[in-house]
Amino acid sequence: MSKTLGLPLKLQALTKRYGAVTALEPTDLEIGAGEFLTLLGPSGSGKTTLLNLVAGYTGPSGGTITIGTRDVTHVAARHRNIGMVFQSYALFPHMTVAQNLAYGLEARKLPKAEIAMRVESALALVQLEGYGGRRIQHMSGGQQQRVAVARALVIEPDVLLMDEPLGALDRQLRRQVQLELRRLHLKHGRTTIYVTHDQEEALVLSDRIAVMANGRVQQLGTSMELYARPTNSFIAGFVGESNLLEALVTEVSDGTARADIPALSCGVTAPAIAGVACRRPAQLAIRPEHLKLATGTAEGITGTISEMTHLGGFTQFGVTLPSGAVLISRQVERGDLAPGINVRLSWEPAHALIVPAENI
Amino acid sequence: MNRLPLGWRIATNVAAMAVLAFLIAPILAIIPASFNKASFIRLPPAAWSTLWYGRFINDPEWLRALWNSLQLASLATLIAVPVGTLAALGLARSRAAGRLFCSALFIAPMVVPIIVVSVAIYRSALDVSMNGTLLALSLSHAVLALPFVVISVGISLHAVNPAWSLAAAGLGAGPWRIFRTITLPHVMPGMVGGAVFSFMTSFDEAVLTIFLADYSTTTLPVKLWETVRLEFTPVLAVAAVVMTGLSVALFVLVQIVIRQTGDKA
Amino acid sequence: MTDSAAPGRWHRLETGALLAPALLLVILIFMLPLGRFLSLAFTAPGGTFATFQVLSESTVYRRILLNSFVIALVVTLITAALAWPLAYLMARTRGAWFTLMMYGVMFPLWISILVRTFSWMLLLERQGPVNRLIQALGVSQTPLPLLFNNTGVLIGMVHVLLPYMVIPLYGSMSRIDPRLMQASDGLGAGLWQSFRRIWLPLTMPGLAGGATFVFLLSLGFYITPTLLGGRSSTMVATLIVSFITEQFNWPMAAAASIVLLAAVAVLMLVAARFLRVDKGMFAR
Repeated sequence: MSKTLGLPLKLQALTKRYGAVTALEPTDLEIGAGEFLTLLGPSGSGKTTLLNLVAGYTGPSGGTITIGTRDVTHVAARHRNIGMVFQSYALFPHMTVAQNLAYGLEARKLPKAEIAMRVESALALVQLEGYGGRRIQHMSGGQQQRVAVARALVIEPDVLLMDEPLGALDRQLRRQVQLELRRLHLKHGRTTIYVTHDQEEALVLSDRIAVMANGRVQQLGTSMELYARPTNSFIAGFVGESNLLEALVTEVSDGTARADIPALSCGVTAPAIAGVACRRPAQLAIRPEHLKLATGTAEGITGTISEMTHLGGFTQFGVTLPSGAVLISRQVERGDLAPGINVRLSWEPAHALIVPAENI
Repeated sequence: MNRLPLGWRIATNVAAMAVLAFLIAPILAIIPASFNKASFIRLPPAAWSTLWYGRFINDPEWLRALWNSLQLASLATLIAVPVGTLAALGLARSRAAGRLFCSALFIAPMVVPIIVVSVAIYRSALDVSMNGTLLALSLSHAVLALPFVVISVGISLHAVNPAWSLAAAGLGAGPWRIFRTITLPHVMPGMVGGAVFSFMTSFDEAVLTIFLADYSTTTLPVKLWETVRLEFTPVLAVAAVVMTGLSVALFVLVQIVIRQTGDKA
Repeated sequence: MTDSAAPGRWHRLETGALLAPALLLVILIFMLPLGRFLSLAFTAPGGTFATFQVLSESTVYRRILLNSFVIALVVTLITAALAWPLAYLMARTRGAWFTLMMYGVMFPLWISILVRTFSWMLLLERQGPVNRLIQALGVSQTPLPLLFNNTGVLIGMVHVLLPYMVIPLYGSMSRIDPRLMQASDGLGAGLWQSFRRIWLPLTMPGLAGGATFVFLLSLGFYITPTLLGGRSSTMVATLIVSFITEQFNWPMAAAASIVLLAAVAVLMLVAARFLRVDKGMFAR
């Protein structure tokens, strides 16, 4: 059973500038109570800036932040009742696990008995019962990570913020913890903002994902929406992978566009994202898993396989076209494909997409 | 490491030990000197006695000098430690240019030759008729001790992770709580070290105090300095032993503090 | 530290408040008096630069300045020679022996310079233990004058300043990667060659640092030269004091102080250049 605690969060025209540099363009964002939202983006995209603004560690250059019904734009961090999990955990080394957890509660001047009780239940929540008396240095990375999460949750925050908390863990552990965090969220149900640059991680954890780059939210949507209908070429290449080819749009009508693709030496008709127009830079996006290769016929778009790599569950092919462009295709079965063979490329009409070009 | 021929190695080791002995042994000479029975100093003493220790303890001037030294060192430390700690905290938060400038200013008293510093402060004290006052002495000693406190606290501050303050703030702690529970525990060893250095610097300080102190505020080193040019009796050695005794005690104290901080890490 | 509402201004104000007491203390008690005193050098009745003229023209004063330089130089050389074997041994030792030696070197620094100088007065006097030893060994028939002359000053200053040479020298020696010597050996260089071309140059930064420090301190020394030296071994500091206490001539005292400070400043700049070049050449 999941309960919903925590409050809704609303950002309006939230901006952050450092002198001439804009770290965050005016951003509007609404997060429902109990929702788990991931901010996904490369370094410098503004995701950490946004997180720090919500936390109150920096002040905005413009815009407002509302938690529930309270305008906290100019409220100091310590009065916002937010829980923050840092990338480096920032656990207090001169205190025990229990003392770390109790810290926020002591700052709120709660009675000792209640503090002890809440610390115990927080430890239970992250499965660290009995570790209260341990020193931080004597705990493993994974355990420290759980203490950091528990410390943020024990104060019963209105919003939980997590800044790439799994960065320091190795791959195996990261997978495990990702699933744990998801389960944990179902248990505590607090509004959560999670920051990461790892798109796989975002897809595992989140209901909705906000893809950020260049200080802007490029697209906000569910993982399916981002995958199937990326709103520009950056997202097409960042969430999942895409072959991106320059497209010269000649006509647009009713969600479909016709464009000349120089790299393919032909024209293509494909679904188009809103914003595609003639004379505006655009790209044709086809995901490697949707690019089909066939031997035999010499009609249509052809190319030569230039490389082949086995990647566990599938084989990846690099196909060089007469124009010099190289496209990536992924097939589950190798068939009789091998480097040097000429192939014909094709795709389902719905799998190609013409998107506005976005240079990040 | 590299292997010198055996002969060279032995020679180097012997030389090293000789140098070490040269460093330490002469200081120890004051101990037997203080136990001379006669009124002139002979090493080793012809006759041993604690006579001159008695003379030291019963001499109101020597006792007052000792008391003045202790009082002055305490005052200088009481001034230097809080001021220096605050300065170190401020330096940690300053931007590069300001930090460089201020550090240079705080360290300057260590860099300028003490004789010039002493004479300069003496002159200004004369100008404002504060020569010989405890206030002038305390402030001057505090200035000389300040660099040690700033450096000592600065080093311990280095180990403080700024993320901890952010985490504490996010958890609801106000600036005072953060200072008390996060910064202070980490800064304490540096403060203690700085306090000990301050006390020792002031207690041993001779040059500045020779000029700045007057009859009523004379310190132990100054009295030693003045008496040594008048009469060369074992009481001088006794005074030296008292001064050294305190230095040794402080030295041991610092080693203990260092051990403790090492364990806590 | 944490208020995000108006971080910029408040933060700067807080930082300023933290620095203010120390700044006030240093400026009021140190900077202003120093400036005031040094400015007196230009207030002699004979003219703005009359004091410097007197200093440069008088043979007595020139001799004193020269004497200070010579003594500082000799002290630096002797301490370097003495520090070398000790630093070398320390760099090769570990454990309890090393700790013992480190304590031995640091310990004198905790004893007042006055006490250390005084102990040499006890040892170097005519009937003192050193002279008795010299006579017992047959080196001389009569007691040697070791006190109240340059000899006494040298011995005392070397003793007081030796730790300041040992520590930096040890510092650079301990940082030398032993594999460098192995590499040199492997390349076929003889022991002496390896030593001269690898080991020695790598200790230069420590030596240079220690030497600079010792030299600068020696120039401005007061207590030791005054107690252990005589009329013929006056140094700059004693000169400055005698200007004040014997002649009440503050302008001259200030002029001599400026000369001393200038020498210190120039040496520090030269040393900084020299040290930086060295670090570049011998990057580890």
